Amino acid sequence: MIDEKKYTKCQLNAIVLLRVLIGWHFLYEGIAKLMKSDWSAVGFLSQSKWIFSGLFKWIAANPTVLEIVNQMNIYGLILIGLGLIMGCFTRIASYAGILLILLYYFCNPPFAGLFYSIPMEGSYLIVNKNLVEAAGLLVVAATGTGKYLGLDRLISKWIKK
Amino acid sequence: MNDQKRTPKDSSTGEEKKKINRRDFLQGAATAPVLGLFGYALYKQQSYEKAQKAALLNSKPVPSGLSDINVALLGVGAQGDVLLNAMLKIPGLKFRAVCDIWTDFNLKKAVNLLGKYKHTVNAYEDYREMLDKEKGLDAVVIATPDFWHAQHTIDCLKAGLHVYCEKEMSNTLEGARKMVQARNETGKLLQIGHQRRSHPKYIHCYEKVIQETKMLGRIATVSGQWNRAVQPDIGWPEKYAMPTDRLKKFGFQNMHQFRNWRWYKGLGGGPIVDLGSHQIDIYSWYLGSNPISVMASGGTDYYEPKTHEWYDTAMVVYEYDTPQGRARAFYQTQTTNSANGYFECFMGDQGTLVISEAGGRGSAYREKSAPAWDEWVQKGYISAPKVLETPAAGSVALDVRETVPADEHKIPVELYDPYHKPHLENFFNAVRGNEKLNCPAEIGYETAVAVLKVNEAIEAGRKLTFDPKEFIL
Ligand SMILES: NC(=O)c1ccc[n+]([C@@H]2O[C@H](COP(=O)([O-])OP(=O)(O)OC[C@H]3O[C@@H](n4cnc5c(N)ncnc54)[C@H](O)[C@@H]3O)[C@@H](O)[C@H]2O)c1
Repeated sequence: MIDEKKYTKCQLNAIVLLRVLIGWHFLYEGIAKLMKSDWSAVGFLSQSKWIFSGLFKWIAANPTVLEIVNQMNIYGLILIGLGLIMGCFTRIASYAGILLILLYYFCNPPFAGLFYSIPMEGSYLIVNKNLVEAAGLLVVAATGTGKYLGLDRLISKWIKK
Repeated sequence: MNDQKRTPKDSSTGEEKKKINRRDFLQGAATAPVLGLFGYALYKQQSYEKAQKAALLNSKPVPSGLSDINVALLGVGAQGDVLLNAMLKIPGLKFRAVCDIWTDFNLKKAVNLLGKYKHTVNAYEDYREMLDKEKGLDAVVIATPDFWHAQHTIDCLKAGLHVYCEKEMSNTLEGARKMVQARNETGKLLQIGHQRRSHPKYIHCYEKVIQETKMLGRIATVSGQWNRAVQPDIGWPEKYAMPTDRLKKFGFQNMHQFRNWRWYKGLGGGPIVDLGSHQIDIYSWYLGSNPISVMASGGTDYYEPKTHEWYDTAMVVYEYDTPQGRARAFYQTQTTNSANGYFECFMGDQGTLVISEAGGRGSAYREKSAPAWDEWVQKGYISAPKVLETPAAGSVALDVRETVPADEHKIPVELYDPYHKPHLENFFNAVRGNEKLNCPAEIGYETAVAVLKVNEAIEAGRKLTFDPKEFIL
């Protein structure tokens, strides 16, 4: 349970803002892929580098697995996005989001000496925007602001009853 | 939300905590409006994407109850075949007759192709016989060598036909002038085959980029090229060779000249006329004026001059007095290397437009100092920018004084039909009285004036000026 006495209003609101913005990003990433009927992770996966590349390339080469991964990714993004925006099962949504982002991250990690044919905007070394977003979610998960502003407030009270 | 401060005790412990009160509902649903905002933004984004798609699908609906147009073909060589294949995709055309002097080869090929599409046509070697015998023709499509265009067009107009004549309108200005006169006297339509004039990408760029938004700013320079790889002379199957006396009757010295007429003086105009005229036509169209002078360097540098009388290489500089001020335009055509293919490039002080008939080639680049183009992106005139990569530091010596490369905005309009189909459609719709010609005789004439002078300038070895009266008939 979030301790509203421990944090100032300002701190809490800032974290809610972070939560809602990351949620928005997840939701749109999911919906945009859903609306592009031919979207597939295959390009991204087959570019994979570093020690996990074997696993990711195996997924890319396997039509059934690929389809499942595509669907899980799309609906995962949408559900996580909704959860974060609405503050509904905030902790679960945050950890799921972190997991998803780390998968992207380790599929194509920005380590020295690895180059990708998918062009990337900006310049990154080890830390990229994915990693920053994952850290943002860690803050959200650690503070659980859904119980401050969000459906979790109602949910937790119902459960307690 | 001041009550938060007033009730710190109750909020942490006790009965109060477990009851769901009004404040809980308010706080529980506090972020819901974000979803509303998201929905609105999504709706906006989707209507933008829809508008972009609509711009892409440029096909016009097929009008119902078309009256058939009776068509004859005059000259069915390489280009005649291309035009025929495009016409077979246009509804409402009845092919009646085909004429070509190479009866055993090209004429037969065309008749067979039409037969496959259930058009029974009469075949002719002599176009005069065709005009005498075929009553009830509405239109003719002419794709004979350039030096035949004037005579063929004039006789067909006088026989009461609307004419689509391939470019170059004529190999001489005198011929072109007589064609316009005949058009005026007969009141029939005469469309010249500069097909970019009907190309949806070119029309889109003219209407939106050049005219409506003027997003390039003041255009002071233009460049363009058609670079073509080395090509062997065109041959023929020996058993279909035509006898020399028959060739001579039609103005050709021998089979080699009959097949490679483009390279010969008096018959064609060489690459500058063959290729350049398409693009120099765009220069005048987009700049809104005809050139005032031309300088050119050229020659037969690579091929055998005996069989390539016209220049295999030409480098040309035009001057224009446009409504915006002076502009200079460079054009190059060469036939020994295909690097960068063919395109036209308009450079204004606020942006650059690179356009080509080749599919997928069409982009606008905004100068970094120019006003934002967001509005044109929103309207779907150009696509959202693709940021061009600056070269990685270290790979090239970067100078801080260098300007950052401009963002690339793709032109969102493409043609998915054969290149010549829209221009032919425009012609046939004009025959039906539903459209105005996109390249009527007087435009073909102006382009011929501008282009034919290049060969003169190369010969003269100096700058030649145009008298504005030269463009007026
Ligand atoms: N718009 C374009 O993109 C484009 C492209 C290529 C050619 N063209 C133009 O099309 C025209 C034809 O070019 P091509 O490449 O097809 O040449 P080609 O030599 O392949 O074909 C010319 C045809 O005309 C026939 N012919 C010649 N004299 C004749 C006469 N007196 N009566 C009847 N038939 C006659 C020939 O037998 C031949 O079949 C030229 O004017 C050329 O400039 C336009």
